[in-house]
Amino acid sequence: MVKANTLNRNNKTKFKRQDLVGWLVMLPSLILFAFFVWEPLLESIRLSLYSAKGIRLQEFVGLENYIRLFRHPDFLAAFRNTFLYIFYSLIIGFMVPIVMAVLISETVHLKSFFRVGVYFPNMVPGMATIMMWSFFFRPGNTGVLNILLSKVGISPQVWLNNPKWTIPLIIITMTWKSAGSTSLIYMAGISRISSELYEAATIDGAGIWQRVRHIIVPSIFSLAKTLLILQIISVFQILYEPLVMTNGGPNNASISLMMLTYNYAFRDFNYPMGAALSVVICAILIVLSGIYTKLTKDKE
Amino acid sequence: MKRLLCLLLSLVMIMSLTVGCGKETTEDATSTPQSQDTSSPTPEPEKVVLKLGIWPEPTLTDDIAVHEGYVERFNELYPNVEVVPAHYKYATDTFVPMAEAGNCPTIFETWFTEPQKLIAGEFIADITDNLKARGWDKAMNPSIRELLSKDGRIYGTPRDGYALGIMLNVELFEEAGLVDENGYPLYPKTWDELAETAKKIKDATGQAGLCLLAKDNAGGWHWSNIAWCFGATLTIDNGDGTFTANLNSPEAIAAMNYVKDLKWKYDVLTADPLNEDWGTGFTALGTGTAAMYIAANDAVNQPTQVNGLPLDKLAMCAIPEGPGGQYSLFGGTPYVFANNATYEEIEAALNYLEIMGQAPVASDEAIAGMRAGAQNKVANGVPVIPRFPSWIDQEVLDAEAKIIEEFGNVDTNMYQSYFDATKSDGNLRMEEPGLTQDMYAEITKVLQAVIIDPDADVEALLNKANENYQSLLDQTFKK
Repeated sequence: MVKANTLNRNNKTKFKRQDLVGWLVMLPSLILFAFFVWEPLLESIRLSLYSAKGIRLQEFVGLENYIRLFRHPDFLAAFRNTFLYIFYSLIIGFMVPIVMAVLISETVHLKSFFRVGVYFPNMVPGMATIMMWSFFFRPGNTGVLNILLSKVGISPQVWLNNPKWTIPLIIITMTWKSAGSTSLIYMAGISRISSELYEAATIDGAGIWQRVRHIIVPSIFSLAKTLLILQIISVFQILYEPLVMTNGGPNNASISLMMLTYNYAFRDFNYPMGAALSVVICAILIVLSGIYTKLTKDKE
Repeated sequence: MKRLLCLLLSLVMIMSLTVGCGKETTEDATSTPQSQDTSSPTPEPEKVVLKLGIWPEPTLTDDIAVHEGYVERFNELYPNVEVVPAHYKYATDTFVPMAEAGNCPTIFETWFTEPQKLIAGEFIADITDNLKARGWDKAMNPSIRELLSKDGRIYGTPRDGYALGIMLNVELFEEAGLVDENGYPLYPKTWDELAETAKKIKDATGQAGLCLLAKDNAGGWHWSNIAWCFGATLTIDNGDGTFTANLNSPEAIAAMNYVKDLKWKYDVLTADPLNEDWGTGFTALGTGTAAMYIAANDAVNQPTQVNGLPLDKLAMCAIPEGPGGQYSLFGGTPYVFANNATYEEIEAALNYLEIMGQAPVASDEAIAGMRAGAQNKVANGVPVIPRFPSWIDQEVLDAEAKIIEEFGNVDTNMYQSYFDATKSDGNLRMEEPGLTQDMYAEITKVLQAVIIDPDADVEALLNKANENYQSLLDQTFKK
C-alpha cells in the first residue's frame, strides 16, 4: 500500500489514466452489483421496517416486524438448528475434501480417474441428489438403506425421522454432493507446492505422514481458512435440502433460518417479515465474517 | 496500444449492458403509434382480452379439446372478446412476482387455503358489482360466499364445494375380505372401527390401512376434522375480534392420542407419514399402498385418472363418528380474478364460466358445457358424482342432477354413506377461524412428534402448540 502511494505520487498523471481504465473495466460489474445486489439489499432493509400488501409498502412500523420475528414460535428452533448445521458441517464435512485431496495427490496411478470420481456427485443436479437420498433414507421396509440393512439382519431404522439424526444426515447428503468440488480446489493448492520440497523430503527419508504434516498442511493452511469461512457462510443459508427432505420436521428438528424466510415470503406472502429475517441473517453473517477477518489478521 | 484495446473493450462491455436495458423502450416507442393507428379508424367497441388461467395444462389434450369447444361457442356469442389460453397452475412461490408485475391471467384457480390471504394482499379483484348485476351473489352457497368474502365484498366464485370424507381402495378391502355379500366395502362407521379395519387390512395385505398426512399444513387440516369428531373446538371466537386457542382441551388430547395409537398400537400408517402430503396421499390410495385416505369429492380424479385406480375400485364413505359426533370439513375451491382486470374483462370471464356450466345459470350453453365436462370425465375414467351445491339455484341443481344421472359411470352405492352424511343437518363444518394455517402448522409439528416417538407426551406437546398459537393470535388480533 505504502509502495503504491509513493509510486502514485511519482507518476501522478500516468496513474490517473490507468485508474480510468481500471474503473471502466470494473464499471459493468459495478452496475450489475448495484442493480442486483446493493439496491435489493437496501430495499429489503426498508421493506423490513414497513407493513406491506404483497410487496407494496403500506406504513412505517419501525422495528415491529423484528419483534414479531423474535417472538415467532419457530424462530428459536430455526436459529439453533442453523448453528447446528454449521457445527455438523464442520465436523463431518470440513475434513473430507482435504483428506480426499491429499489422498488423490499422493496417488500415482489412475489419478485423473479418482479426480473425476470425487467430482462426479457434483454433476448431479441438487434436487436429484436430495430426492435420491430421500429414497435411501426412507423409513420402513422400502427405504434403500433399510433394504441393505435387512440383508445383514439389522432392523429398519427411521433415519431422518429421528430428530437427533436429521441434521447430521442432511449434512452427509450435502457433503456427498459438494466435497468433490472443494477437494479440487485443495488439489490445485497442493499441486502448486514445489516438487523440490517433496524430493528433498523424500531424500531426507520423510514418509507420507511427515510429508503431509510438514509440507502439505502448512501450504494449504491459508486456503483452508478461506474455505472454512465460505463453508460457514454457505451452510448458514441452507434452504432446499431440509425443505425437500423433511420440510423442517420432525417437529422443527431441521428447520433453518432460510427456510423460515422462505415460509414467510413464499408461503404466507408476508414479505416484510421475510425481509426482516433476511436482514437478521445478513447481520449475523457480517458479524461472523468480521470475527473471521479479525482472527486471521491477528495471526498474520 | 494495449491500453487502447482495454479501453475499447470495456466501452463495448458497457454499451452491451446499456443496450440490454434500452431494448424495451425502443420497442415500446415503435409499438404505441402502431396500436393507435389500428384503433383510430375503426370506431368499434374496444376488444376485451380474456386471459384464461383456467386453461388445462398442455398434457391434458382431452380437456383442451373440451375448452376449445367452449371457446368456439364463446366467440359466437361474444365476438368482441379475444380469448387467450394462459394455463396457470397456482403456486405460492411464483404467484406474487407474477401478480405484482401485472401478468396475472384474468381468471385462475387457486387453492381452498388461499382466498383470504390473496384478498388481504389485494392480489385479486373485488367482483361484487359484477355478481350483483347478474344476481349471482344471492345464488352462491352462503357458507362458500363467506369463504370468498371480506367486509361484505366478494372476491371469487366457487368452482367446487367440497366436504372431507374417507376414500377407500376397494381392491384392498376385497383382498382383506372386508366386503359384504354384494361386494360393497365394509367401511368403518366410527374412528375405533377405522383403526380395527385398518389393522385387518394391514394384517391381510401388508399395505397401510390409512394414509395419514404429517408433512405440511394438510396434516393439521385433516386432523382438525378428526378432532371435531372427538368433540374438540380448536379456536374460540371471542366475538370482539380476538380469538382464544384451544388446542389442548381434553377432547383434542384424545384425538391426538388416537393418532398416536394408529401408529404405535395398531401400526396401520404408511411407512413415512412425515413425507406424505395431499398429492402423495392420493398416490398411496390410487396405487394400493394405502386402503383409506381422508379426501374430498372434488378430487376423485386424483386416485383414478392421475394414479390409475380402476373406476369401480374407488369408494367413498363419510368421516367416521367419534365420541363428540360426526362432522365433515367443508369448503370450496375458488375461481379468482386478477386485481388489474377491468369490469369488462371480469364480465367476459364470468360469461366464460357460464358456458362451462360453472355458474348459477341453467341456460342451454351452460347445460351443454356441463354435458361436455361430464362426457370428458367419462372418457378419462373419472367418476361422475354429484358436486357440492356451491350454487343454490334450484334449476342448476336439477340440470346437474340430470346430467349426473345420464353420464353416471359409477355405482352410487359406493358413495352413498358419504352423500347421506353430508346432507344431514349440522354435519358440514367450516374450517376453524383465526389464523387457520398457523394453527395447522402447529398441529402438524405435534403430529410429527407423536408419530416418531412412542413415548411422546401428547398433553405437553399440545400445551406448547396452544401457547405458540395463542401468541400468534395475540400478535395479529389486538383489541
